[in-house]
Amino acid sequence: MRPIRRPPDSSVDGGRDPCHMADALVSVERLTKTYGRARGVVDLSFDVQPGEVFGFLGPNGAGKTTTIRLLLDLIRPTAGRVVAFGSDVRRSSREVRARTGYLSGDLRLYERLTPREHLRYLAALRGLPDLGDGEAIATRLELELDRPVRALSRGNRQKVGILLALFHRPELLVLDEPTAGLDPLMQQAFYALLRERVADGGTVFLSSHVLAEVQHVADRVAAIREGRLELVDTVEALRSRAFTRVEATFTGALPPGHAFDGLSGVRELERRNSTVVLALSGPADPLVKALARYEVLTLDSHEADLEDVFLDLYRSDGDAA
Amino acid sequence: MLRNVAAKTLRDLRRGFLWWSVGLAGMVALMVAVYPTVRDNPALNRFVEQYPDTLKAFIGFGGEVDYTSAAGYLGSELFSFMVPLLLLLAAIGAGARAVAGEEEAGTLELLLSCPVSRRRLVLEKLAALVVETTALGAVLVVSLWVGARAVSMQVSLAHLAAATTSAVLLALAYGAIALLLGAATGRRALTVAVVAALAVAAFLVASLAPLVSVLDVAKEVSPFYHYSASDPLRHGLSAVHALPLLALAAVAGLLAPFALERRDVGVG
Repeated sequence: MRPIRRPPDSSVDGGRDPCHMADALVSVERLTKTYGRARGVVDLSFDVQPGEVFGFLGPNGAGKTTTIRLLLDLIRPTAGRVVAFGSDVRRSSREVRARTGYLSGDLRLYERLTPREHLRYLAALRGLPDLGDGEAIATRLELELDRPVRALSRGNRQKVGILLALFHRPELLVLDEPTAGLDPLMQQAFYALLRERVADGGTVFLSSHVLAEVQHVADRVAAIREGRLELVDTVEALRSRAFTRVEATFTGALPPGHAFDGLSGVRELERRNSTVVLALSGPADPLVKALARYEVLTLDSHEADLEDVFLDLYRSDGDAA
Repeated sequence: MLRNVAAKTLRDLRRGFLWWSVGLAGMVALMVAVYPTVRDNPALNRFVEQYPDTLKAFIGFGGEVDYTSAAGYLGSELFSFMVPLLLLLAAIGAGARAVAGEEEAGTLELLLSCPVSRRRLVLEKLAALVVETTALGAVLVVSLWVGARAVSMQVSLAHLAAATTSAVLLALAYGAIALLLGAATGRRALTVAVVAALAVAAFLVASLAPLVSVLDVAKEVSPFYHYSASDPLRHGLSAVHALPLLALAAVAGLLAPFALERRDVGVG
């Protein structure tokens, strides 16, 4: 279902394989942007290959939006450059924007216009003879085209943003937090639209602060933190590193420090008061049997969220170095 | 109305245009309606003649202060202050909204995600500003002409048009400066405040010039001086004074695209 166009590439420093650099659709090259009090980004380098869905992950304020705005030539780099469709986006800004569909993470629309009027205006600015896929996409997203934007809910506004990014069948889609405000059903409809765009030869660059959200559609992901690129990897490789976070609270004495050493796929992350937090990858059985020897009050386990996975990755990267 | 940025901008200005038109026409109607009373009351004119020079300096419009002639009355009551005030407010507001307003509303990003060059975008905003201000001038001329005919004022359509054109050029100059400053800073309120302050300063320089010798030299740089200096209600426009206004509008308007071209967009 999910198209994977490249063999898994698990090199942590960006998967910058020289064979693929020449035909990358987007190349971010040593990109740095510093401004005012905001953090910006520092020395980012990565490529987006034609036909892939590239997830751009990081906590809020990490520099995702700054990177995206540099890509769209809305702001200008302090150093480095972004090359898209073979030329510097500073130099061929209009051409890049003609071939790109963009959804802002801080979407603002004309309050007095209806979605259909937005479509007409943007179609005119793009020099299109008609509304492209506009009406079809609106139907898929269950969006009414003729109510003024000011009367729309947050979710419906987001649908308008998606519509405006997609209606002209762009070769490259740049989407900043696209599912914000969408209910789960609509998120599925949106991902289906994305898959169709990719099957049709499109390339997608989307940002998110939640890995769980991206992992179902993305081929590769990059993670950024505090303005720096932390890793670029395939989703396959990341999944293999993912773990379940298990928190066990005990009534009596805590198990000794070495109690969980040597269990396969189990690693102790931290302990506080009467709670021990463990990372589990692989089958749960050995851990369950080990825990059974102590008086367990509560047992809480959940899929590690993005923060856990990346924190863990950063930690192990640090150990390796 | 959604074919391009200029047309969309004019579409957005429709409602405001209606109110500015009502304001201009209403003001003209009121002033013109009072004219017969003033004309037929020589005592009032003698009283005005005794006004201190400072006051006369502010209520004059190019020539002598004279409430009995139609040109003198319209100059003092409308063109010396109220007409430029209203046209400037409309033009500065539109100029500041053009880029800075759209940027603060966040919709500039939507426009710039389309393959429209920044220069083109600002030039279309300039075109909309010119159309809007000229249209307000047309409303003003028509109101004046209708009003003047109604109370048999001795003033020609050509002279009314000349004075209005001068006012439109003045408003365009400040509107273009607002467009430029808005394009450079992205801040609407700041732009309005700075440009309004510039206009007040220029107005004071031009009005006080006859009384203060230092200002008499400085008046040449005041757009308000050139606005009234040729006494357009009596003598029509003169190129010497119209061209500086036109040049100011053109220079500010044509610099504006470059102001936006160079900077980051949407960075609060």
